[in-house]
Amino acid sequence: MNDMSLVEREVTQDDIKITARDVQVYYGDKHAIKDVNVDILDKTVTAFIGPSGCGKSTFLRCINRMNDTIDIARIEGKIALDGEDIYDKRVDPVQLRAKVGMVFQKPNPFPKSIYDNVAYGPRIHGLARNRADLDEIVEKSLRGSALWNEVKDRLHEPGTGLSGGQQQRLCIARAVATAPEVLLMDEPCSALDPIATSQVEELIDQLREDFSVVIVTHSMQQAARVSQKTAFFHLGNLVEYGDTDDIFTRPQDPRTESYISGRIG
Amino acid sequence: MPVFWIVLIVLALSAAGFVLGRGRVMAQAQGDSRKLHSRPVYYGWSVALYTALPAFLVLLIWLFVQPVIIQRSVSKYIPDEAIAEGQTRGIVMGEASKIASTLSVAVGQDVLTRPEALTLTMDDTERLDRLKAAQLPVLTKPDVLRAAQQYLRATHIGSLWLGIVTLALSGAGLVFALLRIRPDFRARNVVERVMRGLLIGCSTIAIATTAGIVLSLVFESISFFRLYPWQDFFFGTEWTPSFGGGSKLGMLPLLWGTLYISVIALLFAVPVGLFAAIYMSEYASPRVRSVVKPAIEILAGIPTIVYGLFALVTVGPLIRDWLAQPMGLGNSGSSVMTAGLVMGVMLIPFVSSLSDDIINAVPQSLRDGSLGLGSTHSETIRQVVLPAALPGIVGAVLLAASRAIGETMIVVLGAGAMAQISGNPFEAMTTITVKIVGQLTGDNDFASPETLVAFALGLTLFVLTLGLNIFALYIVRKYREQYE
Repeated sequence: MNDMSLVEREVTQDDIKITARDVQVYYGDKHAIKDVNVDILDKTVTAFIGPSGCGKSTFLRCINRMNDTIDIARIEGKIALDGEDIYDKRVDPVQLRAKVGMVFQKPNPFPKSIYDNVAYGPRIHGLARNRADLDEIVEKSLRGSALWNEVKDRLHEPGTGLSGGQQQRLCIARAVATAPEVLLMDEPCSALDPIATSQVEELIDQLREDFSVVIVTHSMQQAARVSQKTAFFHLGNLVEYGDTDDIFTRPQDPRTESYISGRIG
Repeated sequence: MPVFWIVLIVLALSAAGFVLGRGRVMAQAQGDSRKLHSRPVYYGWSVALYTALPAFLVLLIWLFVQPVIIQRSVSKYIPDEAIAEGQTRGIVMGEASKIASTLSVAVGQDVLTRPEALTLTMDDTERLDRLKAAQLPVLTKPDVLRAAQQYLRATHIGSLWLGIVTLALSGAGLVFALLRIRPDFRARNVVERVMRGLLIGCSTIAIATTAGIVLSLVFESISFFRLYPWQDFFFGTEWTPSFGGGSKLGMLPLLWGTLYISVIALLFAVPVGLFAAIYMSEYASPRVRSVVKPAIEILAGIPTIVYGLFALVTVGPLIRDWLAQPMGLGNSGSSVMTAGLVMGVMLIPFVSSLSDDIINAVPQSLRDGSLGLGSTHSETIRQVVLPAALPGIVGAVLLAASRAIGETMIVVLGAGAMAQISGNPFEAMTTITVKIVGQLTGDNDFASPETLVAFALGLTLFVLTLGLNIFALYIVRKYREQYE
């Protein structure tokens, strides 16, 4: 519990980054997300936990409008990034996603070299003025995702040739290189072994210095280890949201208590 | 006994064997199929296979061997004197077999009885008149008639024995297989072994056919190169065959025409097909896609001769009147451009359909990854989806290319038949395939280099398309390994 309180003391930020009000999501006839209200803080790791099919990934995908790519999805309510409604007609989802990056459940490196994978975002968004700039961004991102030492001698080999854990860290580096403000992670460790998982978790903790990180996870231990804020979803409802420490030690809602003690799931 | 009836009887026997075999083993096991080594149907099948397979095998071999033996026995009845000047033994034998079939028709129509037919002589005017009255006249030499009668007799005896042997074999197989059946008999293993043999046999047929085609091409090509120097064939730039002799058979003009037309076809088909595929897989809604894709694939179902007609009556004159003549590049109705464009239309479905499948096979996670980084839809397609699908697309293009190289009808009607090397796409040219047809049609001596050159051309074409196909398969396979 000691290290827990250590983490808690570090939550000094209370700038609100993302505000969600009365968010509803429908997949066709299915009402997947019901009345979700949440404020996500800047420079904080926020964990979404809950049983399978509870809507936590769906809600995550609302934050960078990835649900737009699914034809039958329909979203109501208001989600604001720095006070600006991201579902406003004037907002282009492409620009939004440059600010809100995403790392997926399964490592999905592009069939390109390691270098080109990381340089993909910066090139698209014109973040580098010249080749040296780009080299620097790539190196910084790879260092940031603790992958640099492992790949610095084979930057021009295909990214698909890395191990699963390395691929996932490459995907994180790729997201970081785009210089987002928020980083969404959809179960980033579910396809990884314990060692790779702990490396990625360590990385997430470091990323908090620069970004607001939102992570969906199935592992309550992981939520407890990496996050400062936790939201518990159940059947499309946001049941409880608060400091991670409080959620795991003094849950207010009986459903939260049942879930974290393993009675429902 | 007609072969048809033999086949039917054997099939009936083997069906009976199936029922009997299954019934017998179930009776032995007191109706409890768990006491059996195999499931009951396998016992039935083992009997059925033993009844049918050996009988059919013998039947097949017999049908191949019998004519050879009969030919030989009949041949003895034709003395050398009976072969007229300028005739060969084969021609006389053909006449004998024709008369034999006339006689057997006569017997079938009750014009003659069988003994009457077998004892017919050329002096017997009464029977000959009866035949003439039935529109079945027999007019030949006595020797040939005797040969024909021997032919008839031998065929009759042959088919009689064929019936006896196959039915006996079938019955023996039935009894043998039935007696073998016991609950611990490994019927499934027997059936599966036979089935595997059958599968192997079928795949062997395909391979053997390919080998046969290649061998026949190779042998004919060798005899061509005995008559005509290979350097002149491969490096000659003039194609002027003349059956009177002194022909020049250089294949370069044909190869040039083939490649020129194929390149134009691909230059048209690849961008159009690829863009159509991108639209269908990335932008079209499922409803539009379900209409557009089959509609494009209809193109693949149009016979190439119809494309040829389209080239001849529509595209050819159009290109001549609106492009070639205004630019002063010729006034030929048939041109490389015409054939190339029409062939390109034909190839669109090959490129688009395969590319569409390949683009769809690119994992959605890659698209999500790219979109999640804030790239636009088109950036995602250009920088992630297409590079990932590229090996497969190249494979599709190469398959289309080998189709283009082997195409004949569109070229005949669209590009004409003039063998020449020219850079002007509005001039008539021709391809290897067209000239193969040209050299083999008509009443020509089959041993002259002018005819045999077709086989050398065919071999060249075969090597060309085979190389392309192997290359395409190699690339497609390499691509498959990437996501598994």
